[in-house]
Amino acid sequence: MVGPRANWKGYIKFGEVTCPVALYTAASSSERIAFNTLNRKTGNRVKREFIDSETGDPVEREDQVKGYEVENGQYVVLEADEVAAAIPESDKTLAIDAFIPCSQIDTTYFDKPYYLAPDKMGRDAFLLLRDGMRKQGVAAIARTVLFRRMRTVLIRAHGKGLIASTLNFDYEVRSSEKAFDDMPDMKIEGEMLELAEHIIGTKKGSFDASTFHDRYEAAVAELVKAKIEGRALPKKKAPDASKPSDLLQALRESAGIGAKETKPKRTAANVNRGAARQKAAKPAAKAKQAQAPARRAG
Amino acid sequence: MALRPYWKGYLKLSLVTCPVQMMPATSESEKVRFHTLNRQTQNRVVSHYVDSVTGREVREEDEVKGYQRGENEYVILEDEELENVALESTKTIDISTFAPRDSIEWIWLDTPYYLSPNDPVGQEAFSVIRDAMESQDMVGISRLVISRRERAVMLEPRGKGIVLWTLRYGDEVRDEDTYFEAIGDEKADSEMMPLFEQLIKKQTKDWSPKMVADPVQERLLEIIAAKKKALKPQKAKGKTAPSSPPSNVVNIMDALRKSVAAEKRATK
Repeated sequence: MVGPRANWKGYIKFGEVTCPVALYTAASSSERIAFNTLNRKTGNRVKREFIDSETGDPVEREDQVKGYEVENGQYVVLEADEVAAAIPESDKTLAIDAFIPCSQIDTTYFDKPYYLAPDKMGRDAFLLLRDGMRKQGVAAIARTVLFRRMRTVLIRAHGKGLIASTLNFDYEVRSSEKAFDDMPDMKIEGEMLELAEHIIGTKKGSFDASTFHDRYEAAVAELVKAKIEGRALPKKKAPDASKPSDLLQALRESAGIGAKETKPKRTAANVNRGAARQKAAKPAAKAKQAQAPARRAG
Repeated sequence: MALRPYWKGYLKLSLVTCPVQMMPATSESEKVRFHTLNRQTQNRVVSHYVDSVTGREVREEDEVKGYQRGENEYVILEDEELENVALESTKTIDISTFAPRDSIEWIWLDTPYYLSPNDPVGQEAFSVIRDAMESQDMVGISRLVISRRERAVMLEPRGKGIVLWTLRYGDEVRDEDTYFEAIGDEKADSEMMPLFEQLIKKQTKDWSPKMVADPVQERLLEIIAAKKKALKPQKAKGKTAPSSPPSNVVNIMDALRKSVAAEKRATK
């Protein structure tokens, strides 16, 4: 049997040890539902054209060139070979610059994962790297030219092999601290926290990708069918946000505490009692409906 | 946050619901960005849409999504209609399951977003969900429609907020056995291990964003800076050209007067 084809072949180097490796795409992206863009007036498909912003004339591909705007309307032109020249020559080597503790890895830098496997010759060194990193709880940082781009790669043990993840550059990742800076400091303690922990406990499970299915396309098909048949399209209501004053009650009812009181008698007299309780009861029914299909689908 | 949220909706845990907003954790804004120019004229190249049959330009407000039914048959779908697609997960992240934080392998992580409350009213509810996940060392699993696909998503507390990861679909991650099977079950040579562990210890550093600096971007900026210098004389020409249009006599007189006035001020 012929093995899978490598996307890249090269070497891993740590200290003075070099071992030949092959790199394979570990994850691909599936397609999303494709819509065509139409001209509303004619119902015809539209097609994209590239034109000169001043003259309006179409611009052929060979006349399209990269320009960097330096100041108001002034551009520096960079030809493709000039951009390519900025990328260093590939030495086909993932040279490990440093090891970092796995606990310090900031996952938001992750770009794409690749499987790394040894080429026949390098098995001993490969096993040493894999098992040593695992024992020490570290991952390796290396830099190399991959697919004509200079990339920083994080290498870590995974099963019998290694995974190399390309990392986003520093300027490509927004700081989470800054992103959440505007939020007030709020620490939840006491009964609220305990109730929420209890709810989490009742919903304990695991993630199984194989049982998850994208329902979007089917839902759009349903929408299209309704439209063709002239049926009224569903209108979706925004859910009611829990009011801060109702939060504790909502948590109690979610945790199954205090819900009993509201359940038994649904007499007319009961309906008018306390707006808060009514409110909580309604979303409860909605939640069950919403959850049922989700559970079935995984 | 001055940035416009990428998505707005609701975070829901059982009967607790709070309004939230989301933005991508990654950004292209700091990247050296190129525009496409027409080499002949040096003008910007822009794209527009033309009708595939009439060849006429289609204005943006006339562009609409079409769902293909037959070979040349489309059903028009307006954005508002699509918003009403019968899935709760377009607007609500309903956390159905919680799993131990380390039970989800990194290989499933696809794209990260930052999730935060969208209204002070939801601050406390948001914090309850976040802090309970944190104290239990759990992550939430839910579904969310993002750019026309329903994704499995993972919610992970981080600082004051929550990082929401889209998770890859089952058939997107390739079976590792295909690639790793040939490695076999052998372990590393135990004699070499102590030495290698020493090397690891010596070379272990703390994580720093400097490790993901981009030398190529820096080089490109240098090239651009050098070319910009060469551009300077041209720039002067460019600037004066529009300010002296093929003018009539009155304009010239005006210009002369101004020039004289400026000279006088200068000599005073």
